[in-house]
Amino acid sequence: MASKVHDIVIVGSGAAGGTLAAHLAHGGVDVGIVEGGPPIDTRTAFNTHALPFHFPNRHIPTMKPGKSGFHSERARGVGGKTLTWNAVAWRFSQRDFKGRTFDGAGEDWPIDYADLAPYYTKVEREIGVCGNRDGLEDLPDGDFLPPVPMKCTDVAVMKGAAKLGVKVIHVRKATLSRPKFGRPSCHFCGNCMAGCDVVAKYNSADVHLRPAMKTGKLTVYSDAVVREVVVNGDNRATGIRYLNRETGSEGEVMGRGVVVCCACVQSVALLLMSKSARYPVGLANSSGHLGKHFIPHLMGGVQCFLREFIGKEPANDEGFLDHAYVPSFMHTRKRDYARSFGVQFNYQNRRSVGWARSLPGFGKQYKESVAARYPAFLTFSPYGEMLPNPKSFIDLDPGQKDAHGLPAARRHVHWGANDLKVFDDMTKWSVRILESAGADILTVSDEPRTNHELGGARMGSDPRTSVVNRFCQTHDVKNLFVVDGSVFPSASEKNPTHTIMALAARTADHIQERLRKGEL
Amino acid sequence: MAEQRREALKIIGAVGSTCAFPFSADELYGQHAHGADAAPAAVPAHPRFFSAAEFETVSRLADLIIPATSTPGALAAGVPAYIDFTATNNAQSGKLLREGIAWLDRAASKQGKARFVDLEESAQVALLDPLCKAADKAPAFTGPRGGGLKARPAWKAPIEVRFFRAVKSLAADGFFTSKHGLVDTLRYSGNTVRGEFPECIHEH
Repeated sequence: MASKVHDIVIVGSGAAGGTLAAHLAHGGVDVGIVEGGPPIDTRTAFNTHALPFHFPNRHIPTMKPGKSGFHSERARGVGGKTLTWNAVAWRFSQRDFKGRTFDGAGEDWPIDYADLAPYYTKVEREIGVCGNRDGLEDLPDGDFLPPVPMKCTDVAVMKGAAKLGVKVIHVRKATLSRPKFGRPSCHFCGNCMAGCDVVAKYNSADVHLRPAMKTGKLTVYSDAVVREVVVNGDNRATGIRYLNRETGSEGEVMGRGVVVCCACVQSVALLLMSKSARYPVGLANSSGHLGKHFIPHLMGGVQCFLREFIGKEPANDEGFLDHAYVPSFMHTRKRDYARSFGVQFNYQNRRSVGWARSLPGFGKQYKESVAARYPAFLTFSPYGEMLPNPKSFIDLDPGQKDAHGLPAARRHVHWGANDLKVFDDMTKWSVRILESAGADILTVSDEPRTNHELGGARMGSDPRTSVVNRFCQTHDVKNLFVVDGSVFPSASEKNPTHTIMALAARTADHIQERLRKGEL
Repeated sequence: MAEQRREALKIIGAVGSTCAFPFSADELYGQHAHGADAAPAAVPAHPRFFSAAEFETVSRLADLIIPATSTPGALAAGVPAYIDFTATNNAQSGKLLREGIAWLDRAASKQGKARFVDLEESAQVALLDPLCKAADKAPAFTGPRGGGLKARPAWKAPIEVRFFRAVKSLAADGFFTSKHGLVDTLRYSGNTVRGEFPECIHEH
């Protein structure tokens, strides 16, 4: 197996790895893609259509019995987290790329919106993104399929928000609202994040990798947990070493170039583990910045009941989870903090009723009060941008090992003063909007949670303070690239996957050009 | 493998729970079964954590918290077995439930009855009412906080109040995720195949 030398070895098969592999393979580049988990039959492996009462503990497991894949927090399986994502697909705006210029805090990206715009379009045209062309400067329009109608409860929120001058728009998702590409449109069964079993929702395994394998240029190495990126005496990456997920036996995959796409924390951990005499504190870490500037999204949460829906006939409105969105508005208003927030809402799934325990009383009245509020329940989840700080970083646990005997990655998150101001304001606005829409508030989360892991191998022009350059190429090793959320120098408040895919498509172009010129 | 998959997908449920797409690109897109009609998980005949007497008390509490009304209640939905299942798998929860049941029986003995279940329904409700009122005052968020945030003050409540909160939470979770709760009582109607998502045509 080790005798074959691929043009490019990619570690990780999610949004970044899948996009990159497909673009390279279709361009004639010989690619080996290495994935820590098993191949997954998306048609039959997921519990997409199960209900809680099918299980004694009333918890719906992601995989059907006997199917391996997504049992742990770290997604392992061909397709990565695109198999279980919610498919929200925003373009970042120029403000997101130039946060420091815009409000004097955090970092600028070394690229502009214009650099990524053609790649956003390319990705939209090949995977299918539905949405409305809203003409918002801060949320650039793309090449969209028609949007999916809002739910009745979304319309109620939209009208409440409008009274405060706040806009609510249709969500934009990489889920088909019309049949396309030989894939059916969404049928609104309401459980997207359990895995879509008809591929109406994009996943990299079915949409990118399967067609790319038909080129004969793509080899998928599954169940291969990568433990090291190998660099030779000439400071060139020569491939990777892995452990078989089930047997623990060692193997390697060789290439003329290596791209690390294992999703933020795992990518950083892999580079930190890849130590050598030349790189004693981790590969591509001559700056000492690898693992630093960890900036996951900070998330709030409000639960409420819209009064006008209390006691009404329950609707079949799980749809494709959230159908609407509150785009950032505070960036244009007076505020005492840097950055902004957006709100994802109404994505709760009506097959779980965890809020019922929070209503008062017991007995007949209690039971009837839950039933009356069931059609009116709504969640609001504001997402804010975090600024980098020295106490938020990723490192390896010196004591703890994972199931494969590899050092466990640790996440350290500390909220800075600006982060807490963003959190307070986005929580206040969430309550204000919901009350304006006629809601009784049930709970308000008083603590930020993290989601969308970003940063740790940030992109920058200065090799002393960043890990990769504007083409996701590491400053230290010319034929080593990192493409995923870890390269984000600033996080935006917008869901990151579309930007990760656009970066992957751009990196694929760059790698092909370098290969043509014989520079890799 | 491909044969097996096709076989699995030939299983077609009742009308309305199966979708047929007119796509030839991949025969697997064509038909897939929605599992909403599958039978609920089996309920074991005997409790594994609770003694027979304790289980009787848990059953009585579940019935009082979510009684049968125009729709079936906690007993028909197998909630006592769900609470037993949880206690079997969570030692801390099991300990609290067991201590709480003993507290209720002690309270009953002060009224001249051997056990809580021997009390008249009105006396049972009168005993639980203040516990419920105190439990409803519990903060929505408890537990430690990280990231440099100030720790929350712990929720201090007597054992019987923490017990009632635990029992009510388990009864609510167990009932509203059961078929009698989710489908019959709340009238969950999702997990279906829709050709399009309907526009809202109401006045809001």
